[in-house]
Amino acid sequence: MTEDLDEIYRRASALDPSRPSEAVRRKVLEHAAALAAAPPRPAANRARWRPAIFGTLAAAGLAGLLIMPRVFNPHAPTESADTSVPAEAPPAVAAPPLAGAPPLAGAPPVNSAPIQPQNAQPEAAARSRAQPNARSLVEATPRTADASRQGASRLEAAAKSGAAAENTIASVQPASPQADPSAALRQAAETGDIQKLRAILGTQVGIDAPDARGRTALMLAASRGQAESVDVLLAHGADPNAVDSDGRTPLKAALAADQPAIVAALRRAGAR
Amino acid sequence: MGRYARGEAAAFELLYRRHELRVWRYLQRNLKNAATADELMQEVWFAVARDASRYLPSARFTTWLFSIAHNRMIDSIRTRRRHMSLESLGHESEEVTRQLTADPGASPVAAAVARDEAAALIRAVEDLPREQREAFLLQVEGDLDVEEIARITGSSFETTKSRLRYARTKLRQMLKEYV
Repeated sequence: MTEDLDEIYRRASALDPSRPSEAVRRKVLEHAAALAAAPPRPAANRARWRPAIFGTLAAAGLAGLLIMPRVFNPHAPTESADTSVPAEAPPAVAAPPLAGAPPLAGAPPVNSAPIQPQNAQPEAAARSRAQPNARSLVEATPRTADASRQGASRLEAAAKSGAAAENTIASVQPASPQADPSAALRQAAETGDIQKLRAILGTQVGIDAPDARGRTALMLAASRGQAESVDVLLAHGADPNAVDSDGRTPLKAALAADQPAIVAALRRAGAR
Repeated sequence: MGRYARGEAAAFELLYRRHELRVWRYLQRNLKNAATADELMQEVWFAVARDASRYLPSARFTTWLFSIAHNRMIDSIRTRRRHMSLESLGHESEEVTRQLTADPGASPVAAAVARDEAAALIRAVEDLPREQREAFLLQVEGDLDVEEIARITGSSFETTKSRLRYARTKLRQMLKEYV
């Protein structure tokens, strides 16, 4: 019975006149021929990511070792403590040589510094032995407060200038992917998110919509080596000869990124 | 594939022509849309050409090929589910049935009966639940066994076996009713 069913199915398929389009066959065979003609990619290029990843991990580990003691040192003053010294706070905490900087690992904590608050020292001893120190502390305290105030005002200024810079950047940068479907398209193409790319292409988005630098989704995909994105974009009619503000085309981007398969695909699609 | 990976374009054409119709039917009967099947067909074979060097000769070519087709199709279904109703996907199955029954060579009665039966079977295949339909098409078009179908669809062996059994039972029932 199984064979009967399969046989009937095969007969039905043979009678079914629907066929794949000739254009698809032509495109596929041309694409395959172009790839076969492209020089094989050297194996060395494929293996480059390994040292890159290990190098990055090693650097991250080293950075972690350097930062760890600062994070877990219970005596380390926090940045906020440095910038918001309360007015009533005892004024005699000596300013370390680098005020505001967290101590290095192994350095004595600030609270255990040999210089004590002025009112904690016996008056006589303060007068006889520590007069210069006390004076310097008294003088230093306002300077520290001033420094704090200056630091705070500098921080405010930096924040203001940062906000201004952010506004300036926002004015020249393209809209976020959430707000702009063409930005989302470019991002999906660049990251090789095929499912998202297809979803966006299903909408009325301009497939060649450029970003602020004139780069299209195809260019970004080509430069990132996203061969699958390139295939999908070309299949949907992306312009293989679009030019960005630096005069770069998708083909130039693929050549620069050493992507022979993408180069072949673009050339097949008419890229010059 | 090995020959193509070494730069022999003619080897690819041979492979393409050998499997073209089977892959296309698998896509078209699952998606019930020829245009979408064409689009995916192009993507599937582009991927085959691009990844030729990664193909392991230890695996059957058809298993590899249909796993690419399956993945592309699932992506496409997910994408389209968000953008269009399933109704619009199903329009073409009736058209295929109509073409089958209206074949111009319909002169002998036996041939006409065979065509009607064939059209009914194609329609019944397209009416199967998606998982059953896909398992059945992978078996008849891809010539894959239960284990290979299970691997491609990410299902267990038993589930795949059940899907195939249900699909075949329904199709046989339909044919019985038709006769």
